[in-house]
Amino acid sequence: MLIIPAIDIMGGQCVRLTQGKFSTKKVYNTDPLKVAKQFEKEGAEMLHIVDLDGAKKGKMINRDLIIQIQKSINIPVQTGGGIRSIQDIETCIKSGIERVIVGTKALEDINFLKEIIQRYGTDRIVVGIDIKNGKVAINGWQRETTKDYLDFAAILKGLGVVNVVVTDIARDGTLISPNFELGKNLTDMGFKVIVAGGVSNLSDIRTLESTGVQGAIIGKAIYEKKINLRDISRPRRRNIPADKGARGFASSGNPSTLTKRIIPCMDIANGRTVKGVNFKNLKDAGDPVKLGKFYSDQGADELIFLDITATIENRPTFYKLVRRIAENINIPFTVGGGIRTLDDINALLKNGADKVSICSIAVQNPEFIRQASQKFGNQCIVVSVDAKRVNNRWEVFIKGGRENTKNDAVKFAKQMEEIGAGELLINSLDRDGTKTGYDIDLLRAIAENVNLPIIASSGAGKKEDFLEAFIKGKVDAALAASLFHYGELSIPDLKNYLISNNIQIRP
Amino acid sequence: MISIIDYNAGNIASVTNVLKRLACDYIITSNPDEIRKADKIIFPGVGRAKPAMEELKKRSLIKVVQNAKQPFLGICLGLQLLADFSEEDSTKCLGIIPEAIKRFSNNLKVPQIGWNKVSFTKSSPLTDGIPDNEYFYFVNSYYMPINEFTVGETKYGISFSSVIQKDNFYATQFHPEKSGKIGEKIIRNFIEKC
Repeated sequence: MLIIPAIDIMGGQCVRLTQGKFSTKKVYNTDPLKVAKQFEKEGAEMLHIVDLDGAKKGKMINRDLIIQIQKSINIPVQTGGGIRSIQDIETCIKSGIERVIVGTKALEDINFLKEIIQRYGTDRIVVGIDIKNGKVAINGWQRETTKDYLDFAAILKGLGVVNVVVTDIARDGTLISPNFELGKNLTDMGFKVIVAGGVSNLSDIRTLESTGVQGAIIGKAIYEKKINLRDISRPRRRNIPADKGARGFASSGNPSTLTKRIIPCMDIANGRTVKGVNFKNLKDAGDPVKLGKFYSDQGADELIFLDITATIENRPTFYKLVRRIAENINIPFTVGGGIRTLDDINALLKNGADKVSICSIAVQNPEFIRQASQKFGNQCIVVSVDAKRVNNRWEVFIKGGRENTKNDAVKFAKQMEEIGAGELLINSLDRDGTKTGYDIDLLRAIAENVNLPIIASSGAGKKEDFLEAFIKGKVDAALAASLFHYGELSIPDLKNYLISNNIQIRP
Repeated sequence: MISIIDYNAGNIASVTNVLKRLACDYIITSNPDEIRKADKIIFPGVGRAKPAMEELKKRSLIKVVQNAKQPFLGICLGLQLLADFSEEDSTKCLGIIPEAIKRFSNNLKVPQIGWNKVSFTKSSPLTDGIPDNEYFYFVNSYYMPINEFTVGETKYGISFSSVIQKDNFYATQFHPEKSGKIGEKIIRNFIEKC
């Protein structure tokens, strides 16, 4: 669930009201910009900025200030309060405000709402439903209407509105828990709902999350220090222990359309694909280029080629192959196997590889990763970690699993992030070749402790394993080899299954 | 003839491979005259902003790029360098687009790696015939905010400019040369329609 701190602006200052009454104004900070930066620093994933002067006057008063705030932070902003004109919406959206909230105008002028949805899309236009005693209130909550909120919601539904912010005015600024029912009712109607008003503690947040709402706006509880934003943000900062009790609320509502990736992995020896492969429409499955192209046409998001012989004599053959892959395949691919020097990396990239996967040398000489990242950019440096459970933790193995380095795998992953890896490929020696599913605990332990994209590897046996890796393992990509090679699972089938389970996937 | 600007910033092979597949003539060059004389210019780029700008300066290419009048395509870092400034190592850039490049929030996994949707907010010859919400391949830690030259936008935490156009300057944050068939169409549009 998305946690959204609120900044209400009046007279250029950051204030809170109680139950929407302007007479109850309390100034918390004279500089809303500073507050926004602070919220960002504490891990907020989005800000809710209200132009209270605007709400009162019926036209945006603090628009420029809000845009200025948006421009000085790196998280999305949604804004509302007095937005009644296309011009205000146009200015906000064109300056990068993520979502614009309309309330009064939406109720009073359905055609206006239709037009802005048409023009800016349902992602960018949010309808604010402010409720007092079950009826919709407008004009900065100063005026109650006779419109029942569910009737109004039904109209919105008919217009294709997706996103709503619902506020129970009686609860707002009171710290007496939100009206859970409102959020639930609207969610049940199919809206993506953000609840505001009355969110006071972690237990409120948990209850809200259980009702299925998309997010919660929190105002006074943060300003009055009843809720510490750091406690509920994703564990991204290294100084926060990963096992901190209340966390992870803010992860799933992340407004991103980046897809999860499906990556077939091919083992190469002497320029040929290893492991018998048998596909009807593929003449020479031993040719890595043809096999790679086959997978690319099937919808693979990336490819990985590992030189399993990785001897010096075999290098020229592998380089030649990399060049042929690059010439013939127009999706990204990673190559690995036996990389030990910067020259190795340079040769692979020059021949057209997009990324290189580095294993043993990363453990033996972590400085190498720093140098590689500085020279080639971290976006092309994938560190491959071979982990195996030993007692209560996972330890890093090298040399194809023959040698235990006794390094803690989670700590090692963090070290690699700090030192310049761009992505991590996590192999489980316990699961490799078993087809019993990915090692979800291992994946999650790493995904929750580093802020890099993670590729899951080892153990995929059926499509459900991928779903579990994405949802429970929190990984960004999943790799499989024999499962695809032997035709036990096709990429289109897998992707359709994941899409039907609401995973963001490139069809 | 297309000139691909060679300024030691990453993987030119993937761009030349697409041009070869499209049977399009090109040269890879850092010679200012060859760039000035080109019919079109491609400005690829992977890596960091600061060394890239230093390299352009060393090769006396800054003015050449700024004064380019022919169709010009920036890719990835090649888009970011068109801005006034980049937060990455506080780098002064080419100043073609009045905008500052920012880093993605730490709340997200950085870099953004993978396929993301582009929705078009304006029409441009570069994106002609490309349906809305197609997926393209991105690898970036920094982004250009939405501005008046934004043609396509993408969501990664925040909405950012994934395609821009200002006069003859076109640029994509994603890698069209790595984005399958649909990406090749962008390059073909650049060759045929820009």
